[in-house]
Amino acid sequence: MGFLTPWFLAGAAALGVPVFVHLLRRQTTTPQPVSSLMFFEQGTQSSTRHRKLRYLLLFALRTALVALLVLAFANPFVRRANAGASGRLLLVVVDNSYSMREGTRFADAKRGALEVLGAKAGGQRAQVMALGAELQVLTQPVQDAGTLRAAVEGIQQGDSKGNFGELGHGLRALAETVHTPVELHLFSDMQKTEMPGNFADMVLPGNVKLVLHPVGSGVAGPNWTVESVSAPAQLADPKDKRRSRVEAVVAGFGTPAVAKMVSLLVNGRTIATKRVDVPANGRVKVELEPLDVPYGFSRCEVRVGPVAGGVADAFPADDGSVFSVRRSDPERVAFVHGAGDGRSALYFGAALGAAAESSFVLQPVNVEQSADVDPTRYAFVVLSDVGTLPSILENSLTQYVKGGGSVLVAAGTSSGRRGKIPVLGADVLDGKYYSRDAGDGFAKVAQVDGTHAVIGDGSDGWTELKVFYATRVDAAKAGARVLVRLGDGANGTPLLMDKALGEGHVVVLASGLENLTNDLPLQPGFVPFVDRAARYLSGEDRLGGTRVVDSFVQLRTAGAGQSGAGVEVVDPEGRRPLSLAEAGSIQSYQLTRSGFYQLRFANGKDGVVGVNPDRRESDMTMIPEDVLKLWSGSGGPEGAPSGEIAAKETPMSLWWWVMLLALVAAVAESVVATGYLGTQREEA
Amino acid sequence: MQRFLDPAVLAGISSLDLLAKTVVDGFVAGLHRSPDFGFSQEFAEYRAYTPGDDLRHIDWNLFARTERMYLKRYRGETNSYLTVLLDASKSMEFTSGSGAKSGVRQPSKMDYARFAAASLFYLVIHNQRDGAGLVVFDDEVREAIRPSTRSGQLHRLLAGLEQAEPRARTDFAKPMKHFQELVRRRGIVVVISDFYEKPEVIVKAIEPLRFHGNDVVLFHVLDPKEIRPDLKGPAVLVDLETQQRLEVIPEYTKVAYWQKMDGHIEQLRDRSQAAGLDYHLLVTDQPLDQVLRQYLAIRQGGN
Repeated sequence: MGFLTPWFLAGAAALGVPVFVHLLRRQTTTPQPVSSLMFFEQGTQSSTRHRKLRYLLLFALRTALVALLVLAFANPFVRRANAGASGRLLLVVVDNSYSMREGTRFADAKRGALEVLGAKAGGQRAQVMALGAELQVLTQPVQDAGTLRAAVEGIQQGDSKGNFGELGHGLRALAETVHTPVELHLFSDMQKTEMPGNFADMVLPGNVKLVLHPVGSGVAGPNWTVESVSAPAQLADPKDKRRSRVEAVVAGFGTPAVAKMVSLLVNGRTIATKRVDVPANGRVKVELEPLDVPYGFSRCEVRVGPVAGGVADAFPADDGSVFSVRRSDPERVAFVHGAGDGRSALYFGAALGAAAESSFVLQPVNVEQSADVDPTRYAFVVLSDVGTLPSILENSLTQYVKGGGSVLVAAGTSSGRRGKIPVLGADVLDGKYYSRDAGDGFAKVAQVDGTHAVIGDGSDGWTELKVFYATRVDAAKAGARVLVRLGDGANGTPLLMDKALGEGHVVVLASGLENLTNDLPLQPGFVPFVDRAARYLSGEDRLGGTRVVDSFVQLRTAGAGQSGAGVEVVDPEGRRPLSLAEAGSIQSYQLTRSGFYQLRFANGKDGVVGVNPDRRESDMTMIPEDVLKLWSGSGGPEGAPSGEIAAKETPMSLWWWVMLLALVAAVAESVVATGYLGTQREEA
Repeated sequence: MQRFLDPAVLAGISSLDLLAKTVVDGFVAGLHRSPDFGFSQEFAEYRAYTPGDDLRHIDWNLFARTERMYLKRYRGETNSYLTVLLDASKSMEFTSGSGAKSGVRQPSKMDYARFAAASLFYLVIHNQRDGAGLVVFDDEVREAIRPSTRSGQLHRLLAGLEQAEPRARTDFAKPMKHFQELVRRRGIVVVISDFYEKPEVIVKAIEPLRFHGNDVVLFHVLDPKEIRPDLKGPAVLVDLETQQRLEVIPEYTKVAYWQKMDGHIEQLRDRSQAAGLDYHLLVTDQPLDQVLRQYLAIRQGGN
């Protein structure tokens, strides 16, 4: 109990007013004259007592009225615990990450959650959430036990990788709106790999009491899994020894050194098997060949299985890794170059041929003979330092890109004379000859965008690149994304740019491919660059291959607007998760289940991707006990006993109630005073 | 004219002379319109002659017509004397405040007694040609004007009334002997008081006046609030005569007081009538004609 504005209590001096009135007014009561007291009898005692009582009532009412008014202005408040036992929010979180598929973990977790909900008090509110890659809110805070039970029973096993960081993040967001204490019951296998990189991410807010319910045996059993598979997404010739093979890495977690059988399945049929010795808690690389697949998309899988009499796998669900391979004839790439430029085609063709995962055939075309080139017959088109481009080709290329095709433009010295970059339409500011500048005579790369598919992880030696000439393009005005930027000048000249145009892309290299304007063809990263660029431009990387659960696949180019063509997604269960409205407008889709997804892109191309769970889920190692203790104690205030949360107290103003009482006192005073004053008049 | 007899209206008239004239003239005018009431001093009745009667009273005209002798009797024109004994004790000062009608101030009992006495004097002297006197007393005789028919008597009486201000206490026993000295001539004695005394004491003190052949009338003047006080709450009451204070509760005044006051009035009436005294209760919110009518009734009966 306290006062928000205690200085108003000085008004209590006004209590003297009713005291003054009553003490003095009682003395000045005017006696009533009568002719004779002959027939009157003394009623002194009773009448005096009666009067005193009555006056005291009036006096008490008046005093109370003044006191209440003073009290109301002083604004009293009480500290009310904003949640008692019934006000505490019971939050039940069930981990439905991929690792929960092991044994009876998921069923145990749900059963435990139902037991906790069954033991809750009738008036207590509870909320159910599921924790996967993100925190899913399944119910609002409700008291209805039926709703909560239905929510728990409705939780499905997921293929996502759990992330306790998401839990911390979600609860911190929840604490912004819910100020009552929260009792969080987490049912999880407490997998170590679900911890975020930074422990601070999983720290819970102060009003959350964490109760951990680890499920599972506690000791992780031996688990082997196919950790990674390297296979060509597109295959032209199964007999090509260099490409027609699958590399898989078999890993063991908590395993002894045993022999395992690794199989390659294509469309459900085992075509290759190999026995490997997997070291204890180690990895082994396996090569399976040949990858004999029919034309079209093949659904392939690498499985690791026990040899006869071998040690059983504790988690058989992760023993396979799926991927898709598309067999087709080699796709052609149109390489349009200047009349005197033969080197660029040589370099680019050699790099394209050396790329392991793609199969393209380069078809050099002289720019003077390119007028009748039909871009749609090619996987993508390369314009290598073309000074002048036939307008019919430029027009058809523009339409080609908008329809889903892609063009790589190398803007060498010839392009510097043009006002604009073809297809991209960006203005050419000028040509920059670094060899003529004082200093080293070349420019080096200063900035690399490692998130782009063409760049990869950025470890391809871009920093070693020497650029002698670069065409300065106004990338900002063109709205192009700069992937590589040189270190010259204040802003740096963009060297590599990408712009989505319609459903297709235009990638611009602001230099040449002929080893004259830069030494890119001589760099070791040139082949991977060409490989990735070829796959990116041809769209092959989107059509097949393998993905991780919860990754996104881009179905429609961002910013292309809503085109009439609808996309289509068929998930591993054969369902079509997209509604018609979504199919007409969705840009990307999250692959939430493991298995094969059939996709149809907005540009009309079909694809099949294999989606695998994150292999970190296969490591069943639990979080150390001390870390768990640290985590469960992180919610409470510092110094408070673990698991105990002091209920937050919030001041509740009593102003309204005091004013209500004052009103009642005023009314009562009026009633009593009316009677009293009536008597006074009578006496007067 | 009736409204001029309303005590509350009369209280607004400062001059007792005018007041008495207003009351009496209004009262007499009212009488003339009444077919049931009248008096004449000329002819009363015929009576058969009996030997020994005065022959002067024989109606000879009637004898001539009937050859029988009848005596023609006339009402005797006698002079009567009215003596008003006015209680001017402090208790007569009581009034219950403003009147219920038209907000005019209710006259005190003393005022009402003055109006009554003045009206009687005017009626007696001006209309009846009788003599009138006044004795003002409280616990002793304060002023005495002997009954007389002399001119200017009315003026003297009214002046005596004007000067009769309430003071002191009522005591009937002490001034009693003076009453008997002052009231020697046979006539009508009117005692106007609130009679806050035991009835036996009052009757015992006033009864000797009756022995002189006087007609004695007790006019008991009371304020309506004295008969039916309505206290709304406990109150401190102060006796006007003794200044004694008493705290009373309304429950008492509503039951016990009413019974006591009614018993007092009843007992006073009974004892008065038993002693041959006329008793009349005058409430100060009633018109004054009752006083005059009572006087005339006695006056007529006295002939």
